[in-house]
Amino acid sequence: MLRFLAVLLVWWILTDGEASALAFGVGVAVLVMLVSAVLFPRSGYRLVWYRVPGFLWFFVVQSAVAGLDVARRLLAPSLPIAPGLRALTVHLPEGAPRWLLANVLSLLPGTLSVRLQDNQLLMHCLDTGMPLEAQVRQAERRVAALFGVDTGVAL
Amino acid sequence: MTLLELAQAVLLLAGCFFYAIGTLGLFRFPDTLTRIHALTKVDNLGLGLIVLGLLPFAAHLAAAAKLLLIWLLALAASATAAHLVALAVRQQQEGNPHDD
Amino acid sequence: MSLVLALVAIFLLLTLMAGLWRIWHGPKDVDRMLAAQLFGTTGVALLLVLAEAMATPALRDVALVLAVLAIVATVAFVTRVAQIDRPSADRKEGADDTP
Repeated sequence: MLRFLAVLLVWWILTDGEASALAFGVGVAVLVMLVSAVLFPRSGYRLVWYRVPGFLWFFVVQSAVAGLDVARRLLAPSLPIAPGLRALTVHLPEGAPRWLLANVLSLLPGTLSVRLQDNQLLMHCLDTGMPLEAQVRQAERRVAALFGVDTGVAL
Repeated sequence: MTLLELAQAVLLLAGCFFYAIGTLGLFRFPDTLTRIHALTKVDNLGLGLIVLGLLPFAAHLAAAAKLLLIWLLALAASATAAHLVALAVRQQQEGNPHDD
Repeated sequence: MSLVLALVAIFLLLTLMAGLWRIWHGPKDVDRMLAAQLFGTTGVALLLVLAEAMATPALRDVALVLAVLAIVATVAFVTRVAQIDRPSADRKEGADDTP
């Protein structure tokens, strides 16, 4: 049902809110919902819906900080970067939470997910002198809260 | 020019500024992986500012929602693309993709 | 206001031109791919601005399609040139269950 509403919302957006297209959209939404239910069965993780706005806000603010951070480094004549690779252990469960963390980290300040293999995350860092571990753990906590899962360790 | 229009103009120009920096990053940064940082993060900020600047122009709610949808899509796309390209670079650097 | 929009559009076009330099010089294919990705993100912004400046809402749909195509281009590049998809490469949960 949630999927149906989400698909219908996207249809409504794509058709610029055209009322005459909506009847057709309901039919399309039902078909898309059925196909997606077959292709992508429930992963077992559910978003904690009331935490979604907070997560989005965290993400938008942090990605803006990331943009400013890179811009600042680029504009400085000395080009203050110290790139390097770092490997970290991820405490999130497999599947959607881990995947979301890796993707979100790519847009957060200084980090870029290179490879996610089991619970080992290889990251490329723009400045290895930054407090990267703390940042990753913070993002991890946010993702864990979003999915309402326990990371299994005290963070 | 009203205050809102002024704010929009500032947002749009700021967006341009960050796009220019993102492109500058393609030239100034020394290697491919650092260039990915510049491209994804700074350009996303640029797109975000431009979308924000264009939002008040939207004739109705659905048009505004479409702008936001495009922005979200671009965010997801650039995060995924950045990850894939970084992985490709890493595998080429290792010269041996069968390392697991 | 339309003047601002026109200036923004022209400026974005100029940054695209700068990206062409990177495509021309490389040095590696990956760098060229990055410039192509730049075309994707800048192109989306350019089309959104033009949609407003020329009062052509359909250009927004073009921007949407461009955003989707940009990721398809990157995936095609990575799988073909860098060959992530070779059989023994790790087919783990992260890369495959993208919704």
